[in-house]
Amino acid sequence: MDLTGAFGARSAAVGPCREPPGLESLHIGGGDGGFTALLELPPTQAVELLHFTDPSLSSSSQAAAAAVAGIGLDVSPPPPLHAYGALTFPSNSFLMERAARFSVMANEQQQQQNGNVSGETTTTSSVPSNSDRVKTEPGETDSSQRLENNRCGKRKELDKKVKGSTKKKNKSSEENEKLPYVHVRARRGQATDSHSLAERARREKINARMKLLQELVPGCDKIQGTALVLDEIINHVQSLQRQVEMLSMRLAAVNPRIDFNFDTLLASENGSLMDGSFSGTAMQLAWPHQVTETEQSFHHRQLQQLPLPPQQWPYDGLNQPAWGREEDQDQGNGHSSLMVGSASLHPNQVKMEL
Amino acid sequence: MASADKPINTDVPEKDVFALHFLQSLSNLRRQNTFNSPEKTNDRVKKIKKAAYVSMARAAGGTSRLWSRALLRRAAKETNKVVRFSRRKKRVTWLRRRSNRRDPVEEEEKEAERLRNLVPGGGAMETSKLIEETAYYIKCLSMQVKVMQCLVDGLSPK
Repeated sequence: MDLTGAFGARSAAVGPCREPPGLESLHIGGGDGGFTALLELPPTQAVELLHFTDPSLSSSSQAAAAAVAGIGLDVSPPPPLHAYGALTFPSNSFLMERAARFSVMANEQQQQQNGNVSGETTTTSSVPSNSDRVKTEPGETDSSQRLENNRCGKRKELDKKVKGSTKKKNKSSEENEKLPYVHVRARRGQATDSHSLAERARREKINARMKLLQELVPGCDKIQGTALVLDEIINHVQSLQRQVEMLSMRLAAVNPRIDFNFDTLLASENGSLMDGSFSGTAMQLAWPHQVTETEQSFHHRQLQQLPLPPQQWPYDGLNQPAWGREEDQDQGNGHSSLMVGSASLHPNQVKMEL
Repeated sequence: MASADKPINTDVPEKDVFALHFLQSLSNLRRQNTFNSPEKTNDRVKKIKKAAYVSMARAAGGTSRLWSRALLRRAAKETNKVVRFSRRKKRVTWLRRRSNRRDPVEEEEKEAERLRNLVPGGGAMETSKLIEETAYYIKCLSMQVKVMQCLVDGLSPK
């Protein structure tokens, strides 16, 4: 039976840190086909995937990867698997061994629990301890069945790898950033059911973003613990909002004094913003031109010249460059800028399509 | 849940984009007849503040961010404008609100609640998305504050 054949070969593979690289590549080659058949991925992507994991991991985890690939190959014929799952356990030593290996891989493989690894000989002793783990295995294989129907979404169960050291954890978080699915590692002594996996993935996402925020808010680098960091962030946001309110009050106070028209506004703006934020000259006439220079593509209207009476400021002309620049960043629609332009001209009008 | 973690993009447009939008909104306000001589300054303050937020939302990329959408929607509600957004995800956000209300038990969830109250549109987001939006929001807010500061400095009498 080919299953036993693959099984025997894989048993050598599961003894990690000792697997010869030739056998390893064999597994990967074999597993590659199994994976792609299973997951309907383009083969190049799966290969890239497997190869991506390999160089970044140490050899022992490569063994784990190979073993996973082997098991992936093993999983692809579904009916025998279900048959095995339906059979009673004691009569099915193969299932026990596979369960042992699976659970070993899913949990502390790095620790070389030799009692489990050499499960070929000590199946009876490992039966009671593995009975609960065996129950997880049909669940995992069921979910791997579902993978055939899903897109490359839920690869978590198949891609459970053993976390050896924190180095690998960093690499896994990098892999999370780059690859189009979540590569979740089951850590030592943690449950491996899908709920806690999802929870853990979510946690990692949240922590990654918190790091971003920490860099943003001044003085948050040194604080340990997410609660305090969040406190700091909340204070920062509140202070910014209060600043906006304060400045708007000051603006309201300032307004009636000066004849509030756009020319003077621009002059004052240019004068004060001249500290490097504007790339061009600070002349009033130059400002709209500079804005158009930075505009990249869009439907253009003629930019009207500045010496217009202030009430007829060319909103459309100015609107489009700005929208053009930022919409290029957002890849928005062209016509939305037009609509916004008209909306700002007639603030009481109804349609504003964004 | 197993969605991709694309590199989080928190680039914010340049200061002049914000400046432009804010100045435009201020000029709009100026054109309104009742603007420059209301008896109470509070109305004016409120209008300016609202204009600031709306212009910030527009400058920060229109509807591509949840909080900007929520801001614009809020502003439009007050002025009875009809604002149409290209994607209507009302049902999804409603469901999210339901699931979000359910557990403020951990300490972190409490903080997330406070953040949600602060950031516009926060009630509809999951925590990880909330944090991303907060980062962008903070950047835009600081940009807007800079713009307003420059304006006030420029306009205030020497």
